[in-house]
Amino acid sequence: MKKVAFKTLGCRLNLFETDSLASEVSKAAYEIVDFGKEADVYVINTCTVTNQSDHKSRQVIKQTQKLNKDALTIVTGCMATNYKEKLEQNDSIDYVVDNNHKTSILSLIDAHYKGEIVKPDAYETDLFAYEAAEKTFHTRAMIKIQDGCDNFCTFCIIPKVRGRAVSRSADAIFENIKKVIGFGFKEVVLTGVNLGRYQYEDYDFEALVEAILDIPGDFRVRISSIEPDGYTDSFFRLFKHPKLCPHMHICLQSGSDEILLKMRRMYTTRVFEDMAKKLQASADDFNLTTDIIVGFPGESGEDFHQSMAMADRIGFGHIHTFKYSVRKGTRAERMENHLPESIKNERSKLIRELSESHKLAYRKSMLGKKQRVLVEKIEDNGFASGLGEHYIPIIIEEEGLKTNTFYDVSIVGYETYEEPILLAKRI
Amino acid sequence: MQQNNLHRLHDICHLTDSTYILRIERNNLEFQPGQHILLGIAGTYEQREYSIYSGTDDTYLEVLVKEVEDGIVSKKLKRMKPGEMLNIEGPVGFFTLSQEVLEQKKKLLFVATGTGIAPFHSMIKSIPDLNYSLIHGTRYGHESYGQSDYDPERYICCSSRDKTGDYQGRVSAYLKEQQFDADTYCYFCGNFNMIKDAMGIMEQKGISQEKLHTEVYF
Repeated sequence: MKKVAFKTLGCRLNLFETDSLASEVSKAAYEIVDFGKEADVYVINTCTVTNQSDHKSRQVIKQTQKLNKDALTIVTGCMATNYKEKLEQNDSIDYVVDNNHKTSILSLIDAHYKGEIVKPDAYETDLFAYEAAEKTFHTRAMIKIQDGCDNFCTFCIIPKVRGRAVSRSADAIFENIKKVIGFGFKEVVLTGVNLGRYQYEDYDFEALVEAILDIPGDFRVRISSIEPDGYTDSFFRLFKHPKLCPHMHICLQSGSDEILLKMRRMYTTRVFEDMAKKLQASADDFNLTTDIIVGFPGESGEDFHQSMAMADRIGFGHIHTFKYSVRKGTRAERMENHLPESIKNERSKLIRELSESHKLAYRKSMLGKKQRVLVEKIEDNGFASGLGEHYIPIIIEEEGLKTNTFYDVSIVGYETYEEPILLAKRI
Repeated sequence: MQQNNLHRLHDICHLTDSTYILRIERNNLEFQPGQHILLGIAGTYEQREYSIYSGTDDTYLEVLVKEVEDGIVSKKLKRMKPGEMLNIEGPVGFFTLSQEVLEQKKKLLFVATGTGIAPFHSMIKSIPDLNYSLIHGTRYGHESYGQSDYDPERYICCSSRDKTGDYQGRVSAYLKEQQFDADTYCYFCGNFNMIKDAMGIMEQKGISQEKLHTEVYF
């Protein structure tokens, strides 16, 4: 039996797509092995959102050569789409499969081993032809609801590599969720490139989430990274529903209105801050997390100060800090006043320090409170670890617990490892 | 994902030495007034975003292009000949009039600089009976592209470098001097500095942020 190893870089959408591909491959006559092991086939689902993502993707491609230089190497995902022609000239890569043709990877592997000469582009394009995955690399089931983006933020390469915004049919999403619940998953994570723009027939994003919450079963729903686009008060009220996790990751990118305008973001700082307040009021201890880009072209010290001040006022539970990196073909590439790396590094450090301080304060505020932990892993010491509904890592100090199981706990302490982790006792 | 949607150039209409309209075969491309397309010369990599200038019922698709001094695409587009092929992606964008605004016949303030007038031209051509005022900032009065397409009672050209416009001075100066109903829906399209200034002015005049919509040209 041929061995196939998968590696995913980047976003949850990539995770979903890899999970589905791996599930299909495992149902066929192949064995899935860990990526660090020798395999006959390596599938690398790449990311290109920053220079660093490109670098990591290239490193992983090189790694396959060390693991087994005779293996079949398939590179897919956003970097594969962005640099397709260049990668096709790389002798260590057998197939470069763009995002449009990613669903064809199993057919491609089958055809290859049958000795057929195939081109990935010859397969049909279907952005949603991903089967619900029964066995995945994660405890949580990612659900793809949407693909592509039409916002064209000036820094972002994603519209080029993921294409125009398109929404999956609501019925297909409901079916996918029912299937994964049937497989035993306890948490579904709604994923896409620009979730808030979901629109399929009468369903907008809010109506879709509401309908998903009505699906019977013992599971919870989490919304992955989303843009701050026009949510109504009725959307915020959805967080009263016990199935919807009180956590959202909404991309701020900058606390300066001038920089937001240059980024072509479709909101102002005031609109964002109003929304943040409503979200934080929508459920107890709501965990609002965000992305901030530092060092965007022309970002002055004052602009950066405004980002720091806004982040401090809102008190994000976590800030994912990105140093601006040029993406070829974007509008920002052609802007003036690109900043030196030293300034980006300095600003990045300051934002990260602020983030750590708020994160610790937020997590300490959970002491004595209750959480419902979905156990993802049993640690070496026998204790169980997982995430609470607020997306905080929690260790339950008890042996003999099971993975993929909900446990109601009380937070009794915290440890600061690489990040603050809460300690809990079962109620 | 880039798709190769090829459209034939019908002709080029030169409005000034540096500004021109590309008239392109439509190939059934449907759009909402205010949206833009990604446009490039067929077979080349470079694309630029251009707001659609024509109306939804027009035979041809039109974009209004200003040749950028150090630009690549706008210079190449200007040299194109009728019959040559363009690559178009889209339409995309959300700089459109909402159903609520249209149904309730809201009072609209359109503010543009230069070729930023394109989406408003498309809206006004496409949607009859819009209750609009259009403020167009140009350097010189002769840059008031398509002026005859607008109701003279609703159009003001603010020329900043000569006295041939309806108002001499920048758009921002004009806006500061005017009174606006708090229920006015404002749409700004054009250069970054104008939009930044105009947003601030309108907020000071009591227009809420929800009624301010922007499309930045760089």
